[in-house]
Amino acid sequence: MTKDQRPTIYMDKIQGKYKVVSNSKLCDRFWRLEFSAPSIEKHTKPGQFVHIRVNDGLEPFFRRPFSVYRAKKNTEVFYEVVGPGTQIMSEYKKGDVIDVIGPVGSAFKMPRKTTKQIVMIAGGIGIAPFLPLTDVLRKKRKDLEMILLYGGRTKGHVYPMKEFKENGVKAHVATDDGSVGIKGRVSKLFNKINCDPKTTQLYTCGPHPMMHAVQDFAKKHNLKGEAACEEVMACALGACLGCAIQTTEGYKTVCYEGPVFDLAQIIF
Amino acid sequence: MNLSIKIGNAKFDNPVTVASGTFGHAEKYFNLGEVKKLGAITPKTVTYRPQEGNPPVRIVETPSGMLNAIGIENPGIDAFIETKLPAFQKTGVPLIISILGYSPKEFADMAKKLNGQKNVKAIELNLSCPNLKQKSLVAQDAQATAEVVRAVKKQTKIPVLAKLAPNVTDIVAIARAAERAGADGISMINTFQAMVIDTKTRKSKLGNFTGGLSGPAIRPVGVKMVYDVAQKVKIPIVAMGGIATANDALEYLIAGATMVAVGTYNFVDPQAPVAVLEGIKKYMRAQKINDIRKLIGSVNK
Repeated sequence: MTKDQRPTIYMDKIQGKYKVVSNSKLCDRFWRLEFSAPSIEKHTKPGQFVHIRVNDGLEPFFRRPFSVYRAKKNTEVFYEVVGPGTQIMSEYKKGDVIDVIGPVGSAFKMPRKTTKQIVMIAGGIGIAPFLPLTDVLRKKRKDLEMILLYGGRTKGHVYPMKEFKENGVKAHVATDDGSVGIKGRVSKLFNKINCDPKTTQLYTCGPHPMMHAVQDFAKKHNLKGEAACEEVMACALGACLGCAIQTTEGYKTVCYEGPVFDLAQIIF
Repeated sequence: MNLSIKIGNAKFDNPVTVASGTFGHAEKYFNLGEVKKLGAITPKTVTYRPQEGNPPVRIVETPSGMLNAIGIENPGIDAFIETKLPAFQKTGVPLIISILGYSPKEFADMAKKLNGQKNVKAIELNLSCPNLKQKSLVAQDAQATAEVVRAVKKQTKIPVLAKLAPNVTDIVAIARAAERAGADGISMINTFQAMVIDTKTRKSKLGNFTGGLSGPAIRPVGVKMVYDVAQKVKIPIVAMGGIATANDALEYLIAGATMVAVGTYNFVDPQAPVAVLEGIKKYMRAQKINDIRKLIGSVNK
């Protein structure tokens, strides 16, 4: 068991009730929820997440974790309606009050000074943590080349790339049916990039098979990377140990030791 | 208003604690200044040797509750005492340490290691462990339960709670066996053995195949079991099983529990234990009850 190096969570500061500012459908299945939470906006680092109690009752029972998609004027999360929890969320109206824990979890490490290029490989809803990463890097590292390889099932699952382009990100898209970008898996886009172990840093977030492919690619080309993981979660505070995943250092909690892990460390 | 209660020779300022396994092992919640208001903290169960826990998936959401098969991931009693216990002790809140052994001797050896540890006010025996002779759980066998309690009582003066499992024909018989063996109190109930199947894959949704059901879904069963046991044993009962609100806790107290623990609901609202305590006080004020002991077991027929 590794020693906790994460700071203590201040529960009374980390849980709050916040007002919904807007809640809108972005494309086919994807929605964007915006709420006003000054403490989240102040403290969130790219890769961290919030844990939303979707309603006051006991159904659904668990909170739902969402990567923070933007924490600027307000806090924004990006979600796909896949079950009863996200269905309830899609019915939120402006002014509704929601109970949120956050920000929690680990953040992406910033690229080193010697890094010249970052490549973000995302699948579906896994795009969420990368916008805040590019928001930060756009200001901090003007010299950095930012590339996004993005895969989705079909057109309606592909988030419009506008905000990434505004941040100066070069985006390549693949869909299973070829309705946007090239046809096939996101791994087909790997040939779009020229990687150098000394100057390239990878980041990935998406389904496990996709991140596994990224891990193989990184290993083959001797590249360093980080992966943001997702798991069914109860507490989001490292208490229940329910969201453990296998790593080369034993089981680790996605909520507390993650969600961002060293890519090489995860056993998919 | 008197809220204090006793288990054996241990005194607690109020009757609200947390159920083991739901409040973590580390310091995570401790800076919630309000934690200091609780009657006791019960950390996650510790075993003699370290355990890495079960393979994922470890939890599944169910109607008004969840299934878990965490597998008691913990660093083992020695590492617990060295690396985790000091932070718990620093809170100043009385501690109830939950232990699980794979033999009466392991239980007894762990209890021995807890002797003299500051703020350890009670030891809770997690009896949902294998009973090697019977291919069942210790908590499913009156004799095996008594054997563990006796072995622990020989090694320690710290009050001992026997934590019972609900998957039994007659929980009263097990509770009485624990009492006769010298237990200072009964903790009840542990989770119900349960499973959830993914109909797409026809596989269990848990890595461990089966798990334990907890949460508000089990509360009415727990209240009945606490009521039944309270009729037949004299030692205090620490009740848990789906407590989410003060009203839930009051049901257990009125049914006969001396102490109440918020468990699974901590995952939904980590500030619930304190809200439960405040709610109990409010109820007592409204009902003009000046002593919690007048509330315990006060169910009208």
